[in-house]
This record gives sequence, structure tokens and C-alpha cells, in this order.
Amino acid sequence: MSVGGGGGGAHAAIPHNNIIAFGLVGGLVGIYAAYFLVDMLGEYMSFLGALGAICGIVWGAAAVRRVANYGLGTGVPSIGMLALGMGVVAATFGLAVGGVAGPVIAVIFAAIIGLVIGVLANKVLKMGIPIMEQSMTEIAAAGTITIIGLSTSMVGTFLFDEVMTGVITTGHIAVIFIAGGLAILHPFNANLGADEKQDRTLACAFEKGGIAMIVAGIVATIMPLASGALTILVGLAVWYVGFSAFYKRVKRDAYMITGSGLLPSKEELE
Amino acid sequence: MEPLTSMGVMALIGAAATIAGASEDLESDVGSQSNPNSQVQLAPQMMYPHRIFNKAISGEPPSNALMCAIGGTTASVLMSAGASVILALAIGAIIAAAIHGTYATTSYFGRSASQRRFKQPIYLDILRSHLPVIMGYAFITTFCILVVSYLMIAVLAHPFSLPLMAFIWGITVGAIGSSTGDVHYGAEREFQNVEFGSGLNAANSGNIVRRAESGLRNGMDNSWFCAKFGGPVTGLAFGMTVFLSGWITVLFDASKGDAIGWISVIAGTLIVLILTIWNRNIEVAARKAFGPYKKDEEAEVAA
Amino acid sequence: MIDIAGILTDNILNILLITLGGILISWSVHFVPVGGAPAAMAQATGIGTGTVQLAAGAGLTGLVTAAAMMNVTDSMLLVIASGAVGAMIMMSVTMIVGTWVYAYGVGCPPASAKAKYDPITKDRQDLYVSQGTEGHGLPTVCFVSGVIGAALGGIGGAMVYYYLLIIENGLAAPDIVGIASIFAVGIFFVNAVIPSYNIGGTIEGYHDPKFKKFPKAVFASFIATFLCAILGVLAIGGL
Repeated sequence: MSVGGGGGGAHAAIPHNNIIAFGLVGGLVGIYAAYFLVDMLGEYMSFLGALGAICGIVWGAAAVRRVANYGLGTGVPSIGMLALGMGVVAATFGLAVGGVAGPVIAVIFAAIIGLVIGVLANKVLKMGIPIMEQSMTEIAAAGTITIIGLSTSMVGTFLFDEVMTGVITTGHIAVIFIAGGLAILHPFNANLGADEKQDRTLACAFEKGGIAMIVAGIVATIMPLASGALTILVGLAVWYVGFSAFYKRVKRDAYMITGSGLLPSKEELE
Repeated sequence: MEPLTSMGVMALIGAAATIAGASEDLESDVGSQSNPNSQVQLAPQMMYPHRIFNKAISGEPPSNALMCAIGGTTASVLMSAGASVILALAIGAIIAAAIHGTYATTSYFGRSASQRRFKQPIYLDILRSHLPVIMGYAFITTFCILVVSYLMIAVLAHPFSLPLMAFIWGITVGAIGSSTGDVHYGAEREFQNVEFGSGLNAANSGNIVRRAESGLRNGMDNSWFCAKFGGPVTGLAFGMTVFLSGWITVLFDASKGDAIGWISVIAGTLIVLILTIWNRNIEVAARKAFGPYKKDEEAEVAA
Repeated sequence: MIDIAGILTDNILNILLITLGGILISWSVHFVPVGGAPAAMAQATGIGTGTVQLAAGAGLTGLVTAAAMMNVTDSMLLVIASGAVGAMIMMSVTMIVGTWVYAYGVGCPPASAKAKYDPITKDRQDLYVSQGTEGHGLPTVCFVSGVIGAALGGIGGAMVYYYLLIIENGLAAPDIVGIASIFAVGIFFVNAVIPSYNIGGTIEGYHDPKFKKFPKAVFASFIATFLCAILGVLAIGGL
């Protein structure tokens, strides 16, 4: 487990409110678009659910970046696991009771659990991170959108009977849990350091979202209401675009990229 | 089931788990992952840039859980499409290793790029040479864990599904690997430049060994060293965990009655007791062999 | 829509026992001797990994053994006991192999920096702490504390799983196992992270001064698990 950031707020090029809007609106639109368009146009539209999940992943990664910059006292991964732990409970509940309104109910309840845990962290555990309440709420909601988006993409709908037999009983929820969780926590963890940049971190989140989408596509190949091939193809495209964007920013930010070479000399270091 | 058959299956599970544990640890040493990586991360800041891979994939348990869950999911998809078990497990492990490779790449690039002000270069030859090794070890780990999970479900009739079982054993193998073998890498291999036989003095933090037997040290040199002790004992640890926790219920099969089930609980507690006593023995032996680091000032004053 | 009040009153005992399971998990994490990153460099006493992951590794091993036991017996106590045994075996094997590495690979004796004398063996500790470190390895008190922690975590995880599984519902057996297991994993992670924030990532065991902070984490876990338990019971009971 690596140590957290140095404290203080994180510098951001893209305003955080825009990312919240992108994650929440984009996520829900993606999920509902997949649900309705699969009904209307056919199963190949199921890939939209995973696009919604990617919006959630980018939002979650941005929120993790903001809160983990304060230093959590333990590794960055803990907060990702917490997000998905809350998310999986809220998502299952929302889909089980909500019917068509399921995703919205799930996000609302996730936000409530997240808020409660954020308040507990500051008021009871005295963590003293000013944005803890807001970040926990965001992370829980983003985790839930990720879980529902990937599930929808796997089975072609978020109605609970299908999700139950296709995702939960078969255990594919485990891969959603961890692929979604890592996609949210890995970007900041992988870019941790003094010269971390928001756009590079988010490009990495985008790329990891593509990976999660490919995995969802693999599962979708055996589901009657979902199409795997298109999901995998779009996932590969997202991954390629994401990785190119990430690598471009690595080249921009790195001290030096070299094919091979010795260590920087003493004079260089001074 | 025939007790002898389930014993044989348990032995196979134990063997596969041992290989998984060993390859898991070596994978984390080649790439430098988890807690010891904090020193690799710190080194450039202390003016010690290096040529060691920086594989900061979120700590070992989640990263192994990801590999194993992806492998398990792909395998279960292939099996429900009619593929043979071995083929399904192998392809699952290949896809998991490939995805693990992308995670390793982004963390090496990302962490190194975030050290611009400390002048840590990104060496592409390090990436090219280490990535196949990392993915190879990841393949072995995932495949063995899938074998363990599959046997537990298909033969020993465990109720969990393959992806969930693989996920859980992935978390466990990562937790064990980062608790045992990584210490050999972190406390010894990274700091061979200080005297053997003590913990890392905080004053030496970041001063990792950067030169190898020949040339500049990289992750491959580290796995060569750790393969002598850290890797195998990690394998033993995971093998023991999987084997012993299953063995007691296979030997004392609770399906023959609750009383036998309770015997399995007692057997497990006995194992824990034996391990506790063993730990105490090593503690006493180590204290005697290595002796105290300081003189007892109070006793001198009293005398 | 489902009958929310009816399900809740029918399953109030399950909710309370699931919450108790969550509290046990949260409490158990305080017993597990984790030194975080410094322990991996033999710079701090305890196991060289993160709290959350180690607790999860032990607890989930317990969940595997508990679920295997649940398949063949109806006895609640036996299921919970085998959950505890599975977690204890994982934790003690990890700790003994950790001790091998500290003793034979790194060459330092186990020593605690938080206590001058080991509360169990009465061995002097401070003299065996090497210069510039906060102790290293696993003295007997840490080992015993870790075993206790694993047992509590295993019991907690098994309880959450057991009381989710026996909620009355209209699901087939594999479905209910699937949903109860992933709920148990989710609740386990929430309750492993809360205490690790409470102790700031490292603790030596029950003799560590930080251990006294556990009521805070237990209280936080009580509220968080209670919420999760209500949602879980409603989701499963409504099917």
C-alpha cells in the first residue's frame, strides 16, 4: 500500500462540478439509453450501459483523486474498496425494489450511505478531511453507477430478474466489483506523485473504463439480451483512445522518456 | 465422496496453491509492487533515481483479485459456451495476464511521469523487458488459482460461483504475498547496502540499492534474489492456507453429522495453537541468536 | 412495490445480527497487527501489509470455509465456528511465514516498540528494537492478538453471510447464495475500511494504545452496517 498525497487540495484543470455532472448525467443516460434502445432497436445497443459506467468511473476517479490528496492514513485502494462495497449493496437494493426507477433509487441510496459514512469519518473517526462528506457521497454514487452500467451492459437490461440470474448467481458481479473498483482507484494510485496532473489521471480512468467494458463484453457474448461483439469492439476503441491520450500526457509530463540509458548524472540532479 | 478421492483432490489443490503463491510473490518483486514499492517511489525524491519497475497497481490483494476474477469470469463464460475446462481456464488466464499488463504499463508510466521534478526518467527498455515477465507470472498465478477454485467448486461441491471464488482466493493470495514474501524484497533485497540483521533505519529511507552484480539493478535482478527465499515461502504460506483450511473439513466431513463437524473445528484450532507455539520458539531462538541491539541501561544503573 | 414494513418486522432479528456481525468485523481489525508499508521494510512491528486487505484476506477465507460448512449442516454455531477457524488458519499461517522471513531472511528478532515488556511472555522488548525503527516482526503478543482478530473477523463475516442466507424469500438456492455472498463481501469491505481509517493504517494489537480508540470505529460500523443490513434484508426479502 502506498502512502497518500501530501495534504491540501488538489489542483484541477477541469472544474470538479463539470465532472460530477458528466458522471451523474452521462452515467444515468447511458444506462437508460441501453435499457430502452435494447428494447426498441435490438440487443446490440447494450454497449451503451458500459459507456454509462465509464462516465461513472471517470467521476469516481476524479473524486478519489480529490479526497486521497489529503492523505487517508492508509493506502488509496481502501477508498476504492469502500466505494464498491457501498455500491454493491445500494445497487442490488435499488434494482431489486425499483423496477424501471431502479438505477435512480440505487444512486440515491448509495449517496445516502456515502454521506453517512463521510459524516461518521469526520465526526466520529475525526479524520479531519474537509471534503470527506462530499467525496464519500460522490464515490458511493459513482461506484453504484459503475456497477449498474456494467451489469446492464452484460445482460442488456437492469431489471432485477435478468440481473439476478445473469450477473449475481453466476458470480460475474465479482468481476464487476473488482474491475469497476480498480478502474476507480487505480488512476490516482498509478499517477501518484508530486507532479500528478488531473488530465493524465482522468485519461487513465478512461482507459481503465475501456478495460472494464471489454470484460463486460466478454460476459455479454453468452447473454440472450445483450451483444458481446459490439461491446468488446467499442471497449477496445475506448481503450485505444484512452491509452493514446494517457501516453500523450505521459510524454508531456515526464522528465525524459528514453529507449535505454544510464541514470541521470550528479550534475543533472543538481 | 470417497474420502480418498477428496484427499487426492485436496493435495492437488494444495500443490496448485503453492505454485500460485510463489509466482504471485515473484510477480510482485519483478514489478516492485505493494509496500516495498514505497521505497522505490521515495528513492528519486531522495536524489536516487533508479532503473527499477514501479508497478503501483493498488496493492497486491485487489490487483490479484482483478486478475483472478477476470480469469474466472472468462473461463466460466467459455465453459458455459461448451469449451473444455483446461482450455477455458487457460484462455481466462491469458486474458487476465494481458489486462494485468495494461495495468502494469499505466502505473510505470504514471508514477514515473509524476516524478518529473525529481528527474526520474522513463526507460522504455525496462518496460519492454519486464512486461512479458510480469504477464508470465500473472498467467501462472491466475491459472493456478483458477485450478484451485474450479476443483473446490466442481469436485468438493462448494456453493460459490467460479468468478467469486477466484476473486476471494485472489484477495487472499495477494494479502499473503504482501505480508510474507514482500518483506524479503523490502527489508533485505532493497537494502543490501546496509548491514544484515536489522530493520531499516528510518535515516536510510529511499537509499535503495541501484547497482547490480552487473550493470544497473532492475526488477529482474530482484526476482532472481527473492526466488531463493521470499517466493517459495510465500508459496508455502498460500498452499498451507488453502490446504489446511480445506483439509480439516475433508478429513472430518461434517456431512456425516454435526459432531464430526465440531471435530474439524477442534482440529483447526489445534493447528493454530501449534503455529502459535512455533512462532514463540522462533522468537526465543531469534532473540538468543541475534541478541539485543542495545545495552540495558537500567540494569547498569541499578548495579 | 414490496411490503417494506412487513419485511423489516419479520426480519428484525436478522438485521440486528447482521449489524452485530459488522461490528465484530470492525472490532476484529483492531486486533490484527499491521505495520503497513514500514513493516515491509522491518521498520515497524506487525505484518507488512495494509489493514483492509489483510482483514479481508482472512475474513474471506473464513467466508469460504463457512459457506462450505453451510452446504452440509443446519447448525448456525458450526457454520460460524468454521468461519472463525478458516480465518484463524489463514492469519496464523501468514504470521508464522512472516516470522520465518523476519528471522531467517532479514535477520532480526521480533520486537514491539509500543510495549516495554510483552504482556504475555514478559520478555523485554525495547532492547531488541534495532536503531531507527519502530520495532519489527511479530512478538507473541502480536501473534495472539492477530489470531483473536482473525477469529472475530471470521465470526463476523460468517454471521453476515448466514443471516442473509436464511431470510425468507422466493429465490432458488444458487440465487440466494450468489446474492448473500456478494452482500457479505460488500459489507465486509465497508467494515474493514472504517476501522483502518480509525487507526490510521497501522496497529500492533490489543496492547497498542491505539486499540483504545476502537469504540469510535465500532459505533461508526454500527450505523453503516445497520443501513446496509436494512437494504440487504429488503432486497433479499422482497424477492
